[in-house]
Amino acid sequence: MIVAEDVHVHFRTGLFRRRVRALDGVTLEVRDGDFFALVGQNGAGKSTAMYCFLGLLRPTSGNVQIMGQVPELGARLYKNVAFLPEEPHYHLYLTVEEATRYYSSLYGKRVSDKTVDESLERLGLAQFTTLPLAQCSKGMKQKVGIAQCLIHEPRVLFLDEPTRGLDPLIVREFRETLREIHQRGATIVMNSHVLSEIEMLANRVAIIDRGKVVVQDELHNLLTLNQELYRVVFEGNGSVPEYLTAVERTGHLVRALLPKARLSDFVELVRTSGMLLHECSLKKTSLEESFFNLVKGDATLTENANGNHGVSVS
Amino acid sequence: MTELLKANIWADVTFYRRSKLLLAFMLVFLLLTALQSLPPLFMDSGVQSFNSLQQIVSDLDFFLLILAGGMGLLIISSHLRNRSLKMVFTKPCPPELWLLSAYLSAAAMALFLNLVVLGSGVLLSVLWHLPVRMGLVFVSAETFAVSLGLIAYLMLLATVIHPALAAIVALIFNADLFYQFDVWTKAAIRSGNSSIALRMIERLFHGLYILLPMVYPFDKQTQNIHTSLRVMSGEWKYLLFSLGYTLALSAFCYCVSLFALKRKNHI
Repeated sequence: MIVAEDVHVHFRTGLFRRRVRALDGVTLEVRDGDFFALVGQNGAGKSTAMYCFLGLLRPTSGNVQIMGQVPELGARLYKNVAFLPEEPHYHLYLTVEEATRYYSSLYGKRVSDKTVDESLERLGLAQFTTLPLAQCSKGMKQKVGIAQCLIHEPRVLFLDEPTRGLDPLIVREFRETLREIHQRGATIVMNSHVLSEIEMLANRVAIIDRGKVVVQDELHNLLTLNQELYRVVFEGNGSVPEYLTAVERTGHLVRALLPKARLSDFVELVRTSGMLLHECSLKKTSLEESFFNLVKGDATLTENANGNHGVSVS
Repeated sequence: MTELLKANIWADVTFYRRSKLLLAFMLVFLLLTALQSLPPLFMDSGVQSFNSLQQIVSDLDFFLLILAGGMGLLIISSHLRNRSLKMVFTKPCPPELWLLSAYLSAAAMALFLNLVVLGSGVLLSVLWHLPVRMGLVFVSAETFAVSLGLIAYLMLLATVIHPALAAIVALIFNADLFYQFDVWTKAAIRSGNSSIALRMIERLFHGLYILLPMVYPFDKQTQNIHTSLRVMSGEWKYLLFSLGYTLALSAFCYCVSLFALKRKNHI
């Protein structure tokens, strides 16, 4: 669906035209029907990557293709694409209603008043239709962006920090809408800092750091990056085996971490000693933990990711 | 395609209507023109009234040319600088169409303002008991034709350079300036100074004069019409020539602007 191969983007900035590498050999693949999240720190290159996908930024080198075509400005392939920018790059002189209508009409189809009204109503903008975008808050502008994005039911959605500045109620509704669209078969590419949100929505994640893709994989693989460990809870009064780590005792109850390699030993111990086992489950890692571990340079984890789950690490 | 053109032209016309900069410029100039039209109200002489009318029409036409250029400059620079084109070019609306819409919307505004100026000229003629001369129509039509070229030229400049720089180039470093320089260097060469450097400078000025677009390509031929507001039957052809020149210039500027817009590294 979307392929980026060895994409480099270099800028020159400042008085001395200092060279900045915004993207440094990014290779990504978004498959048809993916909910793909780009995660990274500020300035990591997430938006730059998205602009390259959309043809808004010409890569210094490398190839980008959407649906088998090189993205050109205003190309026909955008009939099925919607984009929600991070910064409110809108036509500020238009009112809320005018902007929604204008952006929707750029798909070359007539949009009925009813559709526009319903869209604005759904996002809570019904009473602000005549307000110029220049006077709108960032959240309201974002809602206009969302309205124009969803009005044509696109096949591919590019969302750059979509929930930034939105109130919690709208965030929740927007999340549900995205789920619906995704379930109907749309491919979604989203940049976000809100890792909990990505955990809820995405099925594939790429972590970008300083212009490089550190890891890209299925979300569940990233969430089980550290799953060489099992969490065990059992009842016991005596000593615990030496291979258990992070042991915590609460009365008779013992909580500990068990290395995967010693799982059979532990099961054998439970069977022979007759101790009461309450829980034995794979230790879960949050995306936030995985992100910090990977970006902060935990080599072991990166190797694990690479070796155990077929993750591509650049 | 028609839907896209309509949508973009509508958005651009809304931009002009709500641009405070254009509005302020228009108000200042209209105020000056209104002040200028006050004295003839207290004059009995038809000659003085005619001179005032001619002056007012001439000033308004000059104002329209600046305004037309300003519209061409603003429509491109404001969208490029606000980066709002991100919202346009990530939809099936190619730069060709967007640029054409920008040009057509500015042209439509210029036409409307020219009609207002023409109407004002006719109204003043009636009010001051002067015969309504066809020269008014000629001058308005010529101003409109010239403004089309200016719009396209300023759009081109705004695409490739900073808008402030574009305004300086259009107002100062234009064909008139290099024509003057060309005349002076030619005069210096004729007066005996025939150094190679001077000859090269003269060639350069002449080249720039030829290359840069002219505001009034048939200035000499139509000068009388502007002062007398009378048109001889053989003089209408210059209107067609002006229109031909300005359309050719517009087509050239459009192509170069489009090329520059597409070549931009970052929209």
